[in-house]
Parts: sequence; C-alpha cells; structure tokens
Amino acid sequence: MRRFSPVGEKDITRAIVTEFAKQFEEYVECDCIIIGGGPSGLMAGRNLAKAGKKVLIIERNNYLGGGFWIGGYLMNKVTVRHPAERVLAELGIPYKEVGSGLLVADGPHACSKLIASTCDAGVKFANMTIFDDLVLKEDSRVAGVVINWTPISALPREITCVDPIALESRVVIDATGHDAQVVKKLEERGLVKTKGFGAMWVERSEDLIIEHTNEVHPGLIVTGMAVSTTYGLPRMGPTFGAMLLSGEVAAEIALENLR
Amino acid sequence: MKVRRIARVLLYDEGVAEKLDVAEIAEYLRDKLRKVPVEMKGNPFASCPEKSPDYARKFASIKIQDVSRKMASEQEPLYGEIQYEKRRILGKTKAFGILYEGFHLQQIFSELIAWEERTLRFAHIFFTNRLFATWEEGDKRYHARTSVYGFPSLISTTGLVEAPAKPREYYLLKQQYERMGKDLLELKGRFKGGFIDYADEHLTEVMKGYAMQAVFYSLTGDPFCEDKGCRLYNAHWQEELIFTQLESQYEFCGQHARILDGLRRK
Repeated sequence: MRRFSPVGEKDITRAIVTEFAKQFEEYVECDCIIIGGGPSGLMAGRNLAKAGKKVLIIERNNYLGGGFWIGGYLMNKVTVRHPAERVLAELGIPYKEVGSGLLVADGPHACSKLIASTCDAGVKFANMTIFDDLVLKEDSRVAGVVINWTPISALPREITCVDPIALESRVVIDATGHDAQVVKKLEERGLVKTKGFGAMWVERSEDLIIEHTNEVHPGLIVTGMAVSTTYGLPRMGPTFGAMLLSGEVAAEIALENLR
Repeated sequence: MKVRRIARVLLYDEGVAEKLDVAEIAEYLRDKLRKVPVEMKGNPFASCPEKSPDYARKFASIKIQDVSRKMASEQEPLYGEIQYEKRRILGKTKAFGILYEGFHLQQIFSELIAWEERTLRFAHIFFTNRLFATWEEGDKRYHARTSVYGFPSLISTTGLVEAPAKPREYYLLKQQYERMGKDLLELKGRFKGGFIDYADEHLTEVMKGYAMQAVFYSLTGDPFCEDKGCRLYNAHWQEELIFTQLESQYEFCGQHARILDGLRRK
C-alpha cells in the first residue's frame, strides 16, 4: 500500500500561508488587474500574460469562469457564433457546428480549458475577493483597486470593521459582466456616465460589444458584458463568442497602454 | 393633387448594406421619371474625411437608450461611442445595431448635402443601414422606422427588416430561441419568405418602392398611398410589405401612375 509522506498540520498551514503571502506580496503591484474571472476577463488575462505581462484576476466567487459553465436555461451547452470558433480551436475546446455559423461546445469542457489556459499563461488569481473601490492618481487616472474578502460583504459593517487593502497596477480591466462594477464606481464620482441596458438583440449585440471594447477612462478598459451596460448596447442572449473576442481586444488595448 | 417640379434626384449611400444595389435603383428611377436626372452621390462622408470626428460625436449624441423615454436633447457621448462612430464613418467597421433618433439623424445627414445643392428642387435620398426610430405621442414610445421623408429623406435597410412587424408567432418563438441559445437561422428558415431579412435577395427591388415614396414626398408632399397594391403603400407588416413591393399585380395605383405619366410627358 502506498503511504503519504508524514506531514504535520503545522507544516500544511505554513506551506499555505507562506506561498499565499509570497504571491500576494509580489502582486501588490502588477501590470494589469482584471476584475472578474468570467470568459472575457480570463481571455484578456491569458493573452496579456502570454505577452509577458504580470496579471492578477480578482474574482468574488470561489470558482472561476463566471457564466461560461452553462448556456441558457441552466443547460450546460455553450454556443458561440462564427468567427469565435477560432478561439475554441486555439484553446483546444471540442465543438460542433449545429447551424450555419453556430457552434456548440460542452460548458464544463470549454470553461475548464479556458481556465487552464489562463493559468498556464501565468495569470494569478485572488478569488473570494471583492472589488471595493478604485485607486485614482493624478488627473483621475485609474491606478489600482481596493479589495476585501468576499465574506466581509455579507456581514453588517458594524460588526466587521475590516478595512480593505489597495493594490496598484498600470491598467485595470472591468470584466464584471452586467454589473459593470468598476465603471459604476467611476460613475459614483461623476467621472463617467453609463448608459444602462438596451433591449435584447442577439444578432447585433455581439459585433457591437467588440466594437465598443475600449478604454472608457484613462487607465480603465471595459470588456465583456460590462461593455453592454456601459454603452447601453443591445442585450445578448447566451452566446459567448463576443465575450471571448472582447477579452482579446481588451488585452490588445491594454498592451498598447503598457508600452 | 398638386405636383411640384423637381429638378434632380440625388442618391447617397453609406455603402454598408449587403445586396443593396443603388445603381439599379437609380436606373429604375430614371426609367420612371424620364426627364428628371438621377445622380448617384456615393458615400456622403467620402468628401469630408477630415470632419469625421465632428460627425462621429454627433451620431454618438443621438442614440436612443430607452424607447419609452423621449430624448430631451442631444446627450453627452462616451469616448468609446465616438470612436465606434468614427470607425463606421471611415469604413473601418460594418458592425451596426445602434438605435438613433430619426429626426436628429435626418438633421445630421442634411449637413452632408453640398451647399450649392441645398434646394427643395432637388430630392435628396440617403440609403443607410443605421436603424432609427421616431417618437409616437399616442403611446408615448419610440417606434423603429424604415424611412423618414423630408429634406433629406432617409431609408434604412435595417429598418426594413426590423420596423415592419413579422408574424406574431415568429416573435413568440424567437423569445424561446434566444433564451435557450438556439440557432435563430433555423427559426428564420421556418418563416422563410415571410419577411425581408438582412442581405435579402429582394432588398434592392423593395428599396425601389421606398425610393419612389421619397420622390413622391418631394413631388406632392405625401409619400404614401392608401392602396395596398401601390408601391407607395405605407406597410406596417412584413406581409403587407412583400405584397406591396413584390407581389402586387400593378406597381402604382391609377392616381400615382397618372402623375408619373405626366412627368414623362413634360
């Protein structure tokens, strides 16, 4: 019978704390912080890391992948439209064409491949972590984020009193989906004005999301469904091509900014 | 019916709609109007690329965000919105799907008309794939339109697909398809021939009728006809639109055919 190495509880705890602290300290300052670990955030992070940039993704849940695990109506088949199958192929995700220009893949397979590829590229994660606020420097340029543990947000402020901490980065990407949380923080300060949602118009929304993926404020790039909220674009159905391609565009813009 | 004289018809085209053949429409108008010259002006932005940032800002300022709220005035656009409009103007993207305020859009296009051609004796017709809507006081909401007639007249290829209503069953099924991530092309296949779609092979033929409505607006002040078989009929349903523009046994009703005959003889 195989026997595991004799390791004490204190050794396990020490390994976790040491490695976490080492990585956390290293990523207190990085090239890009991405808020949201859904498909657009993962894609943006993956491409930036592949280009040699130091990237940290903040995810409020324990799990990564956002809504990419399932398609519409809680069914675990995800759809993308041409030309996004290029990304599926690049990630090694099996898919099949079910209609002219419409591809279907297994949600768990697609999502886990994307997460793995993002990790392989060198992206680091802070999960169970919520975005709390922005760090703004001279001329209101976005220069980092303020974060806290996710469970803190579930407790009354009177009994927690846990102050958040700040991380610095040269670029921040809002990949928080429909909530557009980061852009909304700027809106609270009167620095931008979001437009809210348009009506659902699947045929047109994907193209427009990619077209509007851009720097919305100096230092802040918006990607994925957050683009839709920011610019009041038509709402999308459960098709993920635009999320993946928008992430790619966000990475390109971030790379331009980081030059 | 009093008929004004028009000295020329000028056709403009943003050049982004698939299967729209403006040269064929121009030829059709020449045949119908005979003695009125019909000129193709091409892309209205081609002559002023240096002004693209100005126009980009103007287009980005007239987006309708909520169809149930009347746009009070032009809104302050975001940087990303202006950049998108600039790319559209410069032909760097064909992505479309923004809803614009129709009369404001008409105003912007009117500024693109050459100064020496700004006369009511000319009928200016712009073909675009921009979708626009106008406010209806009756039910207090914006309604998508295929065309807005005036100075100039705008005709939207996207409006042609989206504004006249499709069969009710189509919308009920579309909602289900979208929620379940099913292929909309399959749904369209089920209703094939029941409505005009993007890049439709009938697009140019249908647009000839809308171009004639714009011409009649300039001639008589009224672009429409009550006769469902006349190409000037203001179709609110795709079924009516297909009958009026493609299936009717005649092109124009007696009254409008006589006006066209009169123009030929003058």
